[in-house]
Parts: sequence; C-alpha cells; structure tokens
Amino acid sequence: MSIMTYATPKALSRRSFLQSSAAAGAALAMPGAAWSQAEGQLLLWLPGGSDLFCKIHTGLLDSFSAKAGLGAASTVCGLGQDTEFTQALIGSITAGNPPDISMLWDSPVSLGAQGAFMPLDEMMKGSQIPIETWPAGLLSSCQFKGATYGLPVTAGVYSMWYNEELFEAKGIPSDRASFPKTWADLRKLSKEFTEWDGDTLKVAGFMPNRVSETMAIWSALNGGMLFDEANLKYVLDSEQNIEMMNFFVDWFEEEYKGDVNLIDRSGNFRDGYADGNTGMGPAFREGRQAGMQSGSWLMGDIYADPVPVFTRWNLAPNPYGPSGTASVSGTWPNWFVIPVGSKNAQAAFDYLSFLAVEGSVEWYQQIPDVPTNSQVKLKAPTGLVENRGQEFADDLSTFLGTQAAIVTPMWNSPVQSFGNDQVARAIEKIYTKAQPVKEALAEAQAASQAELERVLAG
Amino acid sequence: MAILAKENTAGASSPPRRLGLAGRGEARAGFLFALPWMVGLTVFTIIPLLLTFYIAQTKFQIVGPPKYVGLANYAAMWIDPAMWTSARNTMFFAVVSVPIKLVIALGLALLLNRVTALSGFYRTVFYLPFLMPAVAGSIVFMLLLTPDAGPVNIALKALGFSPPDWLLDPKAALWTIILLSLWPLGVETLVFLGGLQNIPQDVSEAADLDSPRGWHKLVWITIPLISPMILFNLVIGIIYSFQVFTQALVVGGTTGKPAEATLMYMVVLYRAAFRYFNVGYAAAMATVLFVGVLLLTLLIFRTARSWVHYEGDSR
Repeated sequence: MSIMTYATPKALSRRSFLQSSAAAGAALAMPGAAWSQAEGQLLLWLPGGSDLFCKIHTGLLDSFSAKAGLGAASTVCGLGQDTEFTQALIGSITAGNPPDISMLWDSPVSLGAQGAFMPLDEMMKGSQIPIETWPAGLLSSCQFKGATYGLPVTAGVYSMWYNEELFEAKGIPSDRASFPKTWADLRKLSKEFTEWDGDTLKVAGFMPNRVSETMAIWSALNGGMLFDEANLKYVLDSEQNIEMMNFFVDWFEEEYKGDVNLIDRSGNFRDGYADGNTGMGPAFREGRQAGMQSGSWLMGDIYADPVPVFTRWNLAPNPYGPSGTASVSGTWPNWFVIPVGSKNAQAAFDYLSFLAVEGSVEWYQQIPDVPTNSQVKLKAPTGLVENRGQEFADDLSTFLGTQAAIVTPMWNSPVQSFGNDQVARAIEKIYTKAQPVKEALAEAQAASQAELERVLAG
Repeated sequence: MAILAKENTAGASSPPRRLGLAGRGEARAGFLFALPWMVGLTVFTIIPLLLTFYIAQTKFQIVGPPKYVGLANYAAMWIDPAMWTSARNTMFFAVVSVPIKLVIALGLALLLNRVTALSGFYRTVFYLPFLMPAVAGSIVFMLLLTPDAGPVNIALKALGFSPPDWLLDPKAALWTIILLSLWPLGVETLVFLGGLQNIPQDVSEAADLDSPRGWHKLVWITIPLISPMILFNLVIGIIYSFQVFTQALVVGGTTGKPAEATLMYMVVLYRAAFRYFNVGYAAAMATVLFVGVLLLTLLIFRTARSWVHYEGDSR
C-alpha cells in the first residue's frame, strides 16, 4: 500500500521539484527586495541601538516623509555594530543598491575619501544647515581634503563625571567650579578616594586613561594631537604624547600598584556600563569609583539597570596636562552620510537638515546625544528632568552645549580604524609593561604613518 | 570460464553503448539535479578563489576599482609585525589543540563504543555542543572564566588552587582559547566511533584471546584499523585550526586582547579587509594561508602512506 502511495502521480516529480526550488528561491529573494531602495521613498539604515533608539528614528523619518509629501519611508534598525554594519553598507554601495541615508558610528572620512559617500558641500550651500552652523572641530571628523562626507548630527560629549555624594562624604567640595583643573590636581584628589584591600581595589578615585578612542582628547589636553590633519601626518610619538603616557604610567604605578590585572579583577572601572564580557557591574554606579571620563549618552542610562547606589552626580570640564593650557572636550558623534548611488539624494539631504535642527531636539529629549548644529534650541532630556529636576537638567544641557563648542578635532584620519587599533595596542603594551612608553608609541607611529601613506598613494 | 573470458574480451573491444531516449533523459535529469550545486561551486568557490589570487596583486579598497601593484601586498606582509604575531599564535594553537582534540575525541569514542544502554542519548549529548553557535559558546565561556566572580575560579579557589586570570593574562589567554576550542568535539568523536564500530568482530575477539591487556589491543589493532579516521580528523582539524576565527574575535576583538595574545591569522586577515578596507592585503594573506595549508595537507597525505591502513590494503 505504501508503495502505491509513493508511485502516485502526485508524488514529487523532477519537474515539480525544480518548480518548487524556483518558487523557494524567489521567496528567499523577497526580503532583499523589501530592503532595496525605491525612487521617492526614503530608506534609512541604523547600525544598532535600543528599541527606543529605533522607534525615535522611525518616527522622525515618517513624520518628515509625510510633511515632505514623500512616499512611505523605511527605517532598517540594528544592522549590527562596528565592522558588521560597515560590511553591509559597503556591500550595498558596491552592489549599487545602498540606502538613501545611513547613520554611522565610525568616522566617515576613511570611506568618504575612497568615494563611498557623497560630498555634501554643494548641497549645504544655501541650505538650512550651511557649513558655518557646525563646530569646526566636530565637522573635521567628516572632512578630507576640503570635502565634507557626512554630518555629525548629534554627539556624545566627553566630560568628567563625578559622584557628588562620595565627594561630600570626604568633605570635598562637590560643585563644578571646585573640580580639579589640571591632571596634577586630579591625581592628588584621586588619592583621597582610592582604597585597597590586599590586592583587591575596593574604591578608586580617578583612573589614568586606558581607552584608545578618547586618547585624542587627552593628547589635546596636554597640548598635543594624534593626527595632524593639516599636514596629513601621524604624530603619536610626539613629546606631548610621550609626556602624557609617562604621566599616566607614573600615576598608575603610584596609586594602582602598576598592575592592570589587579584592577580588572577587582571590578569594571573602565566606564559607566556593565561589562558584557565579564558580567561585572560598573564600579561608578556601584559607588566604588569617585569619577571617570564618559560620554553624555550615559545621562540617559544612569538611572536604569544597574541602578546607582547614589542619586547625585555631576559633570565637569576635562582637566589639562602639564603641557596643556586649557580644557578641551571631545565627542563620539552619530554621523549621517548619503551613500554614493542613493536614488533620493536631495530628499535625503533635506531629511538631514530637518534632523540636524528640529529632529535632534526630540532625539536629545529621549536619548541625550547632544545636537551639534548651532541653531538647535535644546530642551532638557525628559528622564533627567524626572530624576534630577528641571534646573539641574537645564544646567547640564547648557554645560554640554559649551563643551560641544570646544571639541578637539578627532576621528579625522583617513585610516582612523587602523590608527585607533595601533593606539589601543600601544596602550595595552605600555600598561602591561610589555614595552616602554617611547618604544610602544614609536611602533604605533611607524605603523600608522605607513598605512596612511599606503592609502594616500592612490 | 572461457565464456566469461570471451564476454570480457567482447566487452572491452565493443564501441561505447549509445544511450537510448530514456537514458538520455536520465542523464539530462541528473545533470539538472547537479546543476545548482555546480553553479554554486563555480560562483561561490572557484570564481572567488581565482579572484583572490588576482586581488592579492592589487590595491583594492572595496569601493572603486582594484589597481595592480604586483607583489607589494606580499612584501607588506613580510614586514607586518601583526602578521608574524598572528602566524605564531595560530601555529601554536594548531600544534597544541589538534593533537589534544584527537586524543580526547578518541577517548570519548572508545567510551561510547562500550556503552550499550542509552548509546543514542550519549552520542546526542556529545554532539550537542557542536550545534551551539561559536559566538554564544565563547560568551558563555567568558562569563564562566570571569576572574573573581566566574564559577570556574570560585570552584578552583574553593579547592585551594590559585586560578589564573584566564582571559586577562597574556600568558594564559591563548591557552584559554585552546581550551575553548576543545569543547565541541562531537564530529571528531562520531567519526572515530564510526571507525570503531566497523572493526570486524572476529578481529576484535582474536585480539582479546591473544592478549588480555587492553592497551595492546588499542595500540596494535584498534588504532591501525581506525587510522583512516585519524587521518581524516587530523587533516580537517589542521585546516580548521589554521582558520580559527570566531572564538578569537569574540574573546580578543580585532586587536587580540590581551596584548595580542589571542591575535590569530584569520582575525588579522578579517580586520585588514573589513576594518581597514585593505582587501588586496587580506587577499594576499588568504593566498599564503591557502598555499600553506595545501602544502601541509599534501605532506600529511604523503606521510600517511606509512601509517594509515586501509581494509584490503596489501602492505
């Protein structure tokens, strides 16, 4: 009986198998078609972020499209961070089917210089967002050889975060004006808080920087730089940078036993977030760290899980080093680019204008990435107002606005990722004592300069 | 016998039989069924392979056309400290992890071969880790091996040991990656198990009668008879170990933290292509890896003649 069933003409024949295969192939190709770009319908790609982040951007694009009389817009969220997102974006550009507009969490200079993104200079002339409405230091993160390949619509602004309650418990003034102005003062203050229990770091004051992405800020605070944009030259082993790293190593030896493993074993003293790799909570929120340098995005998350053991914290300008003369700030921007091949380039630019001036206000209110265009009238983040009151939230918004105006040029190298990895490598070698400061920086300098020259060679 | 000889002679000298209508239809159907695979092989393997050889001789930044630079990418590899560090780490990983993996997989297979009750259950259990995505597995290991709060170190401390900083200490990190790679052993174990179950019962019983010592049977009977499986696992293991990527990337990122201890060859290749957009350089690295692994595989096959025994082999 079963043989009869197999032999029935309704069984899968070769022809029907091939037909089914073709149908299945077509069905599989459909999602790709759904992501492809159509004329008159804006398509936006976002690298990652929370559900709220996606919701805000979907809403902003939809309301702009409705106002501008465009067709239904599409926002594709969470395409992967860092390298995965870049791969997807480059793939779409080279395939000739890119999104109209894309957010980037890495500098657009490298890919812009290679012709992946449209220069925006012509469109900016006479628009709502001309070049003079952007802070020069910030805009340099999108520029190469006089062309602007993207816009830093909002940015996380780096400043010093500190736990006011911990300060007050030690009888130390906690107002912003009293915060240390120099590295030497910061180091002196840090000692007041640091406590060891054998080889376990119980409480830390402030830590010398170990983050490669923000090293450009610390270098500028010491009167130096990592990349000389004007002369297209890396200067990682300059006198100021050697002095900076020696200062950090000396501080590290004196206050933190000169052993990074002891610190990392004791907790997450790197930033204000839980460490996804080790599961360790942020020492700052646990009340075990007096302060740190962090980006303004933390304002939106600090009262969420893990809830801090304290309520009052504040921000202060970054102190400057022995060879520096004044405080500077730095940013990690949310860049927007219009990929080459966009079928709706002008509409995409119009959306950028809307986002930079109007849309970023709502964005900042819900997720505190600071709008950077000078025409924006900031409204304090809702979450911050709820937790700390209108006055504090307004004060911080004003402070962040002033910090955004004094950002040092960073993210501006055509080999940004390569240079950053070399700095990360040097930092690690220096702090693990695998290499002395001068040697590690010289090695990073040689490698970065060689890569820069290779890319610039055409 | 004569008839058979005649038939054979006739068969050898007769012209090739032409396919009938039905036969031609079958052949066409067979070709059509094989066609998707052949197209896939050509488009996704052969063409990319040939393109890799070509791109390795160009400066190619993904966006824009490639520009011919001759052997410049190979010369750049020669002076790149990251390439040498990663090659050293990868060689060490391969040399240490492959033999350990083979020994453990063989041990597990020998145990599974003795299990009579619930054998299907145990085989499934040992195969399951292979099904877990490498990223998820790596993250679980990272949480387990957290220096102070991780369950592994808590247990080791409770037993009076002084546990290492598995992923923080440059001296321990590469060993931790090796440890991590030993976890999914399902495929190797099943291949060995297949070999063990193919050992003829009479040979096994004769060996038991000749020598009561278990290890004699293992060394003189079992291992020679499963040597084709050892060869297979060895070759596949070496190929995979030179391509170790996911665990290294999850644990050490693109810089091979800590202090380049986990920087592997494929990670350097990947970051060159997709982080630095230096595809020509990445293609040169891929070409060198291809040639290196090919030569190593040929060398293993060459030596295999002296230690691999096939059933019916006259030697």
